Amino acid sequence: MIELNGITKVYRTGSQSLEALRGISLGIGKGEFVSVMGPSGSGKSTLMNIVGCLDTPTAGEYVLDGENVAGLTFDELAAVRNRKIGFVFQNFNLLPYATAWENVELPMLFDGKNAKKRRERVTELLNAVGLLDWRDHRPTELSGGQQQRIALARALANDPPILLADEPTGNLDSKSGEEIMAILTELWQGGRTIVMVTHNDHIAACSERIIRLFDGQVVA
Amino acid sequence: MIGIFFRNLFRDLVRQPMRTALTLSGVIWGTFSVVLLLAFGDSLSKAQIKRFHGMGQGIVLVFPSQTTLPWQGFLRGKPVRVTPEMAEDIPDKVPGIELLSPEFVGGRLIRYGRNEFRNTVRGVNPQFELMRNTIAAKGRFIDPEDMAERKRVCFIGDVLATDLFGTEEPVGRSIFIDTVPFTVVGVMRAKLQSSNYNGQRDERCVFMPWTTYASLYGTKFVSNIIFRPRDLGRSKAVMEAIKVHLSKIIGFSPADPDALGVWDTLEFEKQFTTFFLAFTIFLGVIGSFTLLVGGIGVASIMRVVVDERTREIGVKLAVGARRRTILVQFFSESFVIMLLGGLVGFGFSTAVLQATKAFPKGGFTDFIGVPVLNPLVIVSTILILLAIGVVAGMIPARTAASTDPIEALRK
Repeated sequence: MIELNGITKVYRTGSQSLEALRGISLGIGKGEFVSVMGPSGSGKSTLMNIVGCLDTPTAGEYVLDGENVAGLTFDELAAVRNRKIGFVFQNFNLLPYATAWENVELPMLFDGKNAKKRRERVTELLNAVGLLDWRDHRPTELSGGQQQRIALARALANDPPILLADEPTGNLDSKSGEEIMAILTELWQGGRTIVMVTHNDHIAACSERIIRLFDGQVVA
Repeated sequence: MIGIFFRNLFRDLVRQPMRTALTLSGVIWGTFSVVLLLAFGDSLSKAQIKRFHGMGQGIVLVFPSQTTLPWQGFLRGKPVRVTPEMAEDIPDKVPGIELLSPEFVGGRLIRYGRNEFRNTVRGVNPQFELMRNTIAAKGRFIDPEDMAERKRVCFIGDVLATDLFGTEEPVGRSIFIDTVPFTVVGVMRAKLQSSNYNGQRDERCVFMPWTTYASLYGTKFVSNIIFRPRDLGRSKAVMEAIKVHLSKIIGFSPADPDALGVWDTLEFEKQFTTFFLAFTIFLGVIGSFTLLVGGIGVASIMRVVVDERTREIGVKLAVGARRRTILVQFFSESFVIMLLGGLVGFGFSTAVLQATKAFPKGGFTDFIGVPVLNPLVIVSTILILLAIGVVAGMIPARTAASTDPIEALRK
């Protein structure tokens, strides 16, 4: 599903350059649940940005679902993110003035799905995360756990094969965190590929495989 | 989809009602200024041209003077004298003249009952009426029969008529001009006249057949000739031909620049019109600057909005929005503010223009006219509004669209 070949990312600020990723090669199969771990500055975020098609590598090859995405333009990558990848963030990143319903609907608007399809899918997803009754509430009126469930529903809106979760439980109390992990596990069992960044060994234990990064290289 | 687009647009606009209102007010005021200044400039130029036409429309005045070049044995300084017969003969000799009249001018004592004034008397022919817009409101102008029989009849200006007769009916009554009785055959329709030559304005003048004038006062030479070319664009060429023709009869150099003084009102009107067009454009530019300030207000507020909503932009980009989608979103937001402000500004200015119609006719409206919203003003304002709106909308929208999603999400 995800194949990285010699991925290098160099940040340049003025005369200084920082090598965030040094020739990373790894493969993640379809339906795998992988955790990415490593200390701050080890390149986790950069790796996730590249895997999530938010950033492009300085060098190397990235084949996503059989398509080489390393050379795509920003708008082409937007389409890839829209259909193939669902994002879950540590701080939820919901639109603050939009209702739960509108937040979940957002990715489908960019995909140009018609009103009927959108309505069916949003109803289905809100039902699945148990928040259909909260559909007209704004994020500020929801608890952290509820917000993250809305974010999960949004990530699944266009039914992407891959879910990228960046510290999905980082801002949650342990009970809500467990709920989120239960949903992620369920989604994985349903056949979705999940890549998750975490600091928490306990959370990482839910996954099948742990990739450890150190100084921009895979160490395990 | 469109519904959601407009719902979100509306929500973005009302989220900060105070800020939106303040931004709007800049655009409203700017549009208001553009519309009012353009309408004002337009009406002013029209009023001025109308007043200018008060003296006459499409006419050239020729004033016989004296030579400034020696010619065939004569030294310079020889007077150029034109008789009325010579003048009336010109259309037969020079092609391209529609109307022509010789004109005698003199100051005379005019009396009716106990009212006595010293006013200008003009001896002219019937063609004078159309050239100089001395249209009869009552009675008629001088006619060919008056000319042929040297009748002692006269046509008087509207102000003189009131001065002499008060509320009495002037047509048919006798007045004395230097002790000679004349019958009034007509009174001029009131007109606005900004320019004049030789004596008082038409409203205070007496007009009589030049044949009567010449025989009564023993004057042989006209004070000026007035003509209208058939093709208004060829006034210069016709004037040149008249000069050549007269130079042969009277004996002066056709190259003499000052033997005949010429006032070509057609040339003058061209300059006049150009001046007022420039003036109107100038006013429009001033108005546009005001609107530009409004546009800068919109652009800078939208920059702030973009800054505040960086995270929202980041989220949208992450879940698959294209740069163009973001561009359209922010552009339309600025643009709607511009259009809304423009609309309200138009509304206000229309109301003010309606109110100016209530001013009484006469007085200052004679000078500046009554400003109205004509198509020229509307189209110019819309174009200015669109141009500024597009620029004011594109600047923040481009900033928004170039947001780096990674940076935006980290905030």
